[in-house]
Parts: sequence; C-alpha cells; structure tokens
Amino acid sequence: MNTPTRTSVKVAYSLAGGALLILAAQLIGQFGLAGRAWPPVMDVVSYVTTPAGASLLWRNTLVTFSSAAQGFLLGAVIAVLGAALALVVPIIRPGMDRFAAILHAVPTIALAPLLITTVGREDAPAVIAALSVGFVMFVTMASGFANTSSAHQDLFTVIGANRTRRLARLELPRAVPAFFDGLTLSAPAAILGATIGEWFGAPMGLGLVIVSAMQNYQMALLWAAAMAATIMSLLAYLVFIQLQRVAMRRFT
Amino acid sequence: MSSTATLTPMETKPAEHATRTAVSVNRADKIFTLSRGKKLQALAEVDLEVREGEFVAIIGPSGCGKSTVLRLAAGLDRPTNGTVEIFGAAPHELATQHRLGVAFQEHALLPWASVRSNIALPYKVAGRKVDDARVDGLIELVGLKGFEKARPKQLSGGMRQRVSIARALALSPDLLLLDEPFGALDAVTRRRMNAELARIWGEEKITTILVTHDVDEALILADRVVVMTGRPGRVRTIKNVDFPRPRDAATTRSPEFHELVDELTSLLDANDGDAA
Ligand SMILES: Nc1ncnc2c1ncn2[C@@H]1O[C@H](COP(=O)(O)OP(=O)(O)OP(=O)(O)O)[C@@H](O)[C@H]1O
Ligand SMILES: [Mg+2]
Repeated sequence: MNTPTRTSVKVAYSLAGGALLILAAQLIGQFGLAGRAWPPVMDVVSYVTTPAGASLLWRNTLVTFSSAAQGFLLGAVIAVLGAALALVVPIIRPGMDRFAAILHAVPTIALAPLLITTVGREDAPAVIAALSVGFVMFVTMASGFANTSSAHQDLFTVIGANRTRRLARLELPRAVPAFFDGLTLSAPAAILGATIGEWFGAPMGLGLVIVSAMQNYQMALLWAAAMAATIMSLLAYLVFIQLQRVAMRRFT
Repeated sequence: MSSTATLTPMETKPAEHATRTAVSVNRADKIFTLSRGKKLQALAEVDLEVREGEFVAIIGPSGCGKSTVLRLAAGLDRPTNGTVEIFGAAPHELATQHRLGVAFQEHALLPWASVRSNIALPYKVAGRKVDDARVDGLIELVGLKGFEKARPKQLSGGMRQRVSIARALALSPDLLLLDEPFGALDAVTRRRMNAELARIWGEEKITTILVTHDVDEALILADRVVVMTGRPGRVRTIKNVDFPRPRDAATTRSPEFHELVDELTSLLDANDGDAA
C-alpha cells in the first residue's frame, strides 16, 4: 500500500525527472546541438506566453480535444457493446476478433483519404480517434469479460441466473477494472488519432497547426503545438489511471 | 448398501412429502478427461437416495469425489454413466426455478458486493423483491451483525464461509448442498454454527446434503451418514443416525455417540482407494 512518505518520494522523483528533461531540452536548443529545428525551451515558452500564441494554441487545443473526446466516446461505446455482444453470442466472437484486428492493421494514413471523402474533413479526426480507441477497448473488454472465474459462473448457474442477469450482475461488474484499463490505454490513443486525423485537411486543430508550422518553419509554434498535444495526452492518462486504481480497489 | 427405491405414483403427490425422493443418484460414474487423453475416474457406481426433508452427510478422504457428487446433484456436471434425478427431473431444472441453495467449498462471493448484497443476490437473480427481514435474520444467524457493509476481502475465511451459507439459505431452497461449509471455523464457532444449522433444518425441513471431514459434525446434523472410499469414490457404507434431536452436549458426550464416531473414523481409516 502507498504510505504518504512513499507517495511523496514518488512525486519528488517525477518532478526531478521532468525538471532534468526540460533542462536538457533547453541546453540542446541553446547550444544548437540538434540543429536549428530544436529551439531552446525558453523560446517556446515565451511564444506560448504571447497573447496571440496563447489564443492560437488554446483554440486549436480545444478543437483537437473535442474531436478526441467524441472519438473516445464513440469508440468506447461501440467497442463495449461489441464485446458484450460477442460474449452473449459466442458464435460471432472469432469473426469480431478478426474484424477488429484487420481494421486495426489498416494504416491510418491509408484510411484517412477514404474517411475524408466519406465522413468529411471535419469529422475525420474524431472517426480516426474512434477507430484507435475502439480497437484497444474491444480487446481489453473481450479479455475482461472472458476472465470470470469458474466458481462465480457455477454460482450463477445454481441460483438460476438467465443470460441478462448473469451479464448485469457478474460479467459487467467483473469487467469494470478491464474497462478502466482500456480507457487508460486509449485516452492517449484518442488524442494521437485526432491529431493525425487533422493532418489531412481539417479546418482547425493541433494537427493542422503542426503541419502548417512545419511548412512555414515556425519552430517555436511547432514545438508548442506538440507540447500541447503531449500535455493533453498525459493529463488524460493521469485522470484515467486514477479512475482505474479506484475501480481496481472497488471491484476486486 | 443404499436401497434404490423405485418411484411409486403415490410418492409424487404433495401430500406424501415425507416419502418423496428428493435426490436420486443411480450407478453414477464420473470420469474426467485430463490433458493428453489421460483419464481420471473420480466416482464409480455411486448410488444415493435422499428423501425429501432428509439430512444426509457425506464423509470420505480428501479427493474421493465428495464435491463431485454435489456438482452432479447441482447440475453443474453430468455423470459419465448412470443417472441423476432431483425431484424426478433433470438437476438443472431445480436451479432454473431458483429452488437450489449451494454453499461452495471456495465460497464464490462477489468481491465488489457487500455482505448484505452477497446474501441478497439470489433474490435479485430470481427477479424477486429482496426480503430485507429475512436477509437481516440470516446475517444475525451466521453471526455477522455489524459486518453488513463489509466487503469479502475485509472478512476472515470463516466469515466468508458463513456469508456463503447465508446466501445458500436466502430463498429457503428445496435442496441445500453444503460443501465443507464450516471447514475454516474454530471448534467453538463450528459447533455453534452446527446448532444453528440444525435449528434451521428443524424449522424449514430443507433437504440437505452436507459434505464434511468432521465425523462429529456429521453425527450431530445428519439422519444418515454416507462414507465414501478413496479414489475412485464409491459408497462404502451408509449409517443411520438415530439420536434424538436436538442433539446437544448430552448427546455428544454419550457412549453411543462415541462408539459411532469411532466406528465411522475407522471406516475412513481403512481405505482401499489410492487417494492421497
Ligand atoms: N474438473 C475436473 N477435472 C479433472 N479432475 C477433476 C475435476 N474435478 C475434480 N477432479 C478430480 O476428481 C477427484 C475428486 O475431486 P473432488 O473435488 O470431488 O474431491 P473431494 O472429495 O471433494 O476432495 P476434498 O475433500 O479435498 O474437497 C480428484 O482426484 C480431483 O483431482
Ligand atoms: Mg471437495
């Protein structure tokens, strides 16, 4: 168990690690060790603190966040329903496994033009995010549903549970930790998916900012946008890992 | 040993409760197929008849197939040869009608649910309204008052066993199957739980099969004690237990009681099976 002192030691380590990383990045930029494309961290920070820079980043971060969140929700809901269906109707499970694997194997780059022509450039980021999230969630939920203990299954058999009640009272609660595992893994995937989706001509978003900053050689903006995406990803991960811990404590 | 009485038409009438057959196991073999095609015979030609309202205890060495007999009666396994009938029907039918209560050897409590919700689970699964008074009564009966909100991992092994017994009793089942339900309890708590179980059985006359390692416990509770041999499990003997009820300390101190304990213990000892 986490005693308060051990927790604070851990926090201190992460802070120290972060500070070291920033310092290293600053020095590499300052002395031009990685060429002109690696600006000193302070340049990026001073860009972010200008009103114009802050507002540009903020507006685009919100757009990416909203696409990622929509995709996250859509992907998670479809994947959980799909995994539950595969559990209740076991005969379709192998087919669904293979379908998910094939969908996952198609490179996003190849899928993107297709999505832009079908769902449009504004919705493509959310759909790409949904695809990444959907795969991760389907796999974790399918294994979460499969891992009910035989003793519990026997119990539900002898108390005469029908299929729905077995699902509601045994398999769903049992899969709650797996559900949060899946969310923790897919939150960064959703942000990555949305950002990549925006490369292909979305009207706004961090992905678009990254592409245009790269084309116009605005290194501070490029780095600021990348950092915004990273921070968002990290925050999402931290939020879900906390929920996952709570779920783990509550459901096992 | 056991006489396999044939069902006469009279026995199916509700008025003839006392003579109706609750459990009938006929020449049941159970052969498990292990990896690489190896086979393990757990039960050989087991015959067992339990009348409605009767309390039968099964004793036998570890690994002789006692839990397997209960699984056959619960409809969780089918015999490789032979037949199992519960109240004249296939075993799983009793379960689908929510008339079966089982306390498993490994408790099988839901880790996310409180003691109270675990005990109330059979009501919810049966789609019935939870009888709060009965659930409270059961919690008190198994001595877990004050632990209603606790979750299984906060309980000791013996407390978990008691929750699982309360859950098995929740719907006043027609058939109660108990697999070493008091195994993790200290001697004092065990005898107290024995007395409580005897009292419930006396009140509700639930047909009960109890698997136990404790010969005294079998004699305190049962109308008949089935002694099984080591693997493959067979019925070695069935002993009638005629001590008057309630069987209190006066009974357990009597020489007749001790004689029977010794006799059954020596039957367990003199083993012709190869069980460990
Ligand atoms: N599902 C199974 N697959 C293979 N073998 C099994 C299975 N279940 C039980 N067995 C074997 O059948 C035999 C009887 O097992 P069972 O659990 O009925 O014994 P038991 O009398 O209840 O023992 P104990 O007193 O230790 O609980 C054992 O040798 C066991 O290894
Ligand atoms: Mg056993």
